[in-house]
Amino acid sequence: MKSAFNRSILAFAAIALLAGTTFANAQQQTDKNRALKKYESGTKEFWTHPPDDWFLGDETDAQKGLAPPSGPPTGASDAELATMMKKIKLPPGFKIEVYASNVLAARQMAWGDKGTLFVGSFGLGNVYAIKDNNGKKEVKTILKGLNMPTGLAFRDGALYVIAVDKLIRYDNAEANLDNLGSGKVVYDDMPSYAAHGWKYIAVDKDGWFYIPFGPPFNIGIPPTSVSQIRRVDPKTGNAEIYALGVRNSVGGDVDPRTGKYWFTENARDWISDDLPSDKLNMISKIGEHFGYPYCHQGNLPDTKFAMGHKCSEFTPPVYNLGAHVAPLGMKFYTGSQFPAEYKNSILIAEHGSWNRHKYQGGRIVKITASPDGKNAKQEIFADGWIQGDQGYLGRPADILLDKDGSILVADDWAGAIYRISYSKK
Amino acid sequence: MRIASLGILFASAIAMTSFAEAADVAAGKAKAEICAGCHGDNGISQTENIPSLAGQLDQFIQWQLVFFRAGARKNEQMQPIVEQLNNDDIRNLGAYFASLTPFKGGKDDDPELSEKGKQAAAGRRCASCHGDTFAGTKAVARIAGQREEYLVKALHDYKSGQRSGGAQAAMADVAYPLSDEEITALAHYLAHL
Repeated sequence: MKSAFNRSILAFAAIALLAGTTFANAQQQTDKNRALKKYESGTKEFWTHPPDDWFLGDETDAQKGLAPPSGPPTGASDAELATMMKKIKLPPGFKIEVYASNVLAARQMAWGDKGTLFVGSFGLGNVYAIKDNNGKKEVKTILKGLNMPTGLAFRDGALYVIAVDKLIRYDNAEANLDNLGSGKVVYDDMPSYAAHGWKYIAVDKDGWFYIPFGPPFNIGIPPTSVSQIRRVDPKTGNAEIYALGVRNSVGGDVDPRTGKYWFTENARDWISDDLPSDKLNMISKIGEHFGYPYCHQGNLPDTKFAMGHKCSEFTPPVYNLGAHVAPLGMKFYTGSQFPAEYKNSILIAEHGSWNRHKYQGGRIVKITASPDGKNAKQEIFADGWIQGDQGYLGRPADILLDKDGSILVADDWAGAIYRISYSKK
Repeated sequence: MRIASLGILFASAIAMTSFAEAADVAAGKAKAEICAGCHGDNGISQTENIPSLAGQLDQFIQWQLVFFRAGARKNEQMQPIVEQLNNDDIRNLGAYFASLTPFKGGKDDDPELSEKGKQAAAGRRCASCHGDTFAGTKAVARIAGQREEYLVKALHDYKSGQRSGGAQAAMADVAYPLSDEEITALAHYLAHL
């Protein structure tokens, strides 16, 4: 099994290298003229004002014009959502419907104990609470003006929101939706920059939070306090560095079978449309290194930043999800509504490309893998949000199970939450 | 990405060809009457430190209104106005201002300063988001021909962190290292395009 696994990795690498050849040559030419990029992370300024080129990569004509798109500012209207729902393709027996609209820039979701759905957001700075009122979903903005509060969690009656450099606890949140107050900062040993500073929270059985720390640039030697995943105890503010060599992760979940943390990771940009692949990873033991910035997709040394390292030094991905698919929120499916083969599979919300001439991702995939991370297989679960080469109807950003075994999907482009359910008929 | 990118946000938006629901320019025009007091008739500002909006990008206008409404961008005069706007108003206002003949720069009285600004714009890679003619694209602002002192103000606001660039941190990061001299030159160059 292992040798077959290795062979397939090698075969993939060969194909990948062929596909990337033309571009790689041009890239190497360009690279020769540029020194290894260095960031002065020893200065205080670095931490307040990251490099101003972190989203740019316009050195070649081929790259020009690719930039992160921004969606409809007011989200999709109810009429637009109704049209969109008809275009989403699902396996037989599954159904998608709008759960709530006007949840602008919706990112991570979490349930309160009393049935409130909490939703973070991207640049708008809002946190929402969605309550069911006789079948109608009421969306209330409960927090405003936070710095990219993408990640949140609910634990022991408290809502936790992570706004780039502050993990804030709001006690007894469901009873105080109209006035949450300013909360209590329980952990703030985090850089304040926004670039790759937006976060995600996954809670483990001990109540500690897995939290990703992205570097404030596309590719470079990361300062020692980022490109890692930490495990933070929100009760005490104690923290440990749990994994290294991680670029931009904005999603993960604890495996119900083993208690291990699995996470999605967005790979570097500006190599080519087809390289490198974004990843699904699993942390087997504390301190593992996942390769960034030296090695991408488990088999592709960075042309500038490998610096003599070999890919074999690092923990390989469980699965290469594809280039620029942008995997964000993910959940193990632990419900019983879906068919049996979904049990303990992973559903990943792929936000979709910007750094690719023909977008891909913008869908939900299902990955099944053994508890040890072997034998990973992918199937497309929900698809249809990409329109043309570079257009979106919506962009899945997070997934959450509902009590009845259906799943909710947050879409930060359309500003909506969907429900996907299954019925045998 | 970045995205994961991206998110941030960033800077540019994809054309919303998929959503055919047309915004109502006439309704936007009616709603925009309240804007004219400061932003001028037909979206050409005659007031210091107030930007012209004529021909500004639809998505840019909408995003700024949404940011004002959410409190992510703060301005005392705009605040009470945007609080009254619903999503349809915002779409209609974006469509209306985008439909107007764009503002244009006047005669350049200091070509030497413009040349410096041109070099600064190249060095800071402004065109990679704002386009080669600085007419903006998608959610990125049109800056060619904007009022000179307003461009100075906007760049200083980004540099000081008063304005974050909305969702995208991009402008705050880009403006931070700019010197006052560069800002003066950039604003003069762009205002006279």
